[in-house]
Amino acid sequence: MGSRITLKSKGKSVKGAKAAEEKSTADYLKEWSTWTMKKAKVITHYGFIPLIIIIGMNSDPKPQLYQLLSPV
Amino acid sequence: MAGLVPPGTTINTDPSTAKPKEDEKIDYFNLPCPIPYEEIHREALMSLKPELFEGLRFDFTKGLNQKFSLSHSVFMGPIEIPSQSAEAVKVPTAHYEFGANYIDPKLMLIGRILTDGRLSARVKCDLTDNLSLKANAQLTNEPHMSHGMINFDYKGTDYRTQFQFGNGALLGASYIQSVTPQLSLGGEVFWAGQHRKSGIGYAGRYETDKMVATGQVASTGMVALSYVQKLSEKVSLASDFMYNYMSKDVTASVGYDYILRQCRLRGKIDSNGCTAAYLEERLNMGLNFILSAEIDHKKKDYKFGFGLTVG
Repeated sequence: MGSRITLKSKGKSVKGAKAAEEKSTADYLKEWSTWTMKKAKVITHYGFIPLIIIIGMNSDPKPQLYQLLSPV
Repeated sequence: MAGLVPPGTTINTDPSTAKPKEDEKIDYFNLPCPIPYEEIHREALMSLKPELFEGLRFDFTKGLNQKFSLSHSVFMGPIEIPSQSAEAVKVPTAHYEFGANYIDPKLMLIGRILTDGRLSARVKCDLTDNLSLKANAQLTNEPHMSHGMINFDYKGTDYRTQFQFGNGALLGASYIQSVTPQLSLGGEVFWAGQHRKSGIGYAGRYETDKMVATGQVASTGMVALSYVQKLSEKVSLASDFMYNYMSKDVTASVGYDYILRQCRLRGKIDSNGCTAAYLEERLNMGLNFILSAEIDHKKKDYKFGFGLTVG
């Protein structure tokens, strides 16, 4: 009976360790994707309009720099 | 009945199918491409829902070359904030919005940023002839208030499909098919992970040279019907009926749209006791004067706006 109890407890502890490991891989993935989304949001927030301006200034026919700022 | 009048109002109609008016047999293998599912109520929306505003609006668009332009926009006026009471609560605001647009046949980038740091971005890119990617995002500095959505559209010979991914685990798909040269039917499904909601909807659109009738039903309880009749090149009349069978909310509206040489005038009246009018007058080449009025008798909310658009 004692051996059965120890066997049971061993089984439980093994299962517990595996569950903790599985959780951490899913958690790790979630954390990583949240981190990338946050960084992507900041990059888009600051960089989207400068990106459009850079693409526009390099398109044909190439506009001059003063045309960006002057109201004419 | 179908096939007597060749379709002339779809933007995707091949010019070769605009044959002279005669009885022609419908070639079911050569139907025109339907309009995108989200634009199914396009004519009714254009006539009945102009961009009404309150206060002063000034827009200046400066083109640097054919594809690239910058826009500066100033707005001063009260903004309505949602409130519990029956009356509207308004907060006076003023903001300046800077925008940059790059419009190419294959790639379109539109970005607008406000003085309070809110960015609204739209991207449309044609990956191949039939597949296109659209993305739009509204980003703010406040946490959890930003949203973004990305769509993949595939256009077939007589059908269109679209897949949507949004933040907050929003997934959607829609499909629309041309059944006859005038009739197109479609359906959509969506799943919102954050709110644990899912829904399915169906829509149909029947159009001829002179009229467009559309209907849409969704499992969220929304039923929307619309009918637009084009009386002439300059005048069209539209009516719209929206019914929510879950919340038992009904709205019907009737409106007109006059597209004249120097101006465009739209007016509508609602079953909620709300009348609105919107006038865009072309004063000169590139100079437009805008007047907007909306009177809500039930809520005692009167909104009048004026503005100027340059470029």
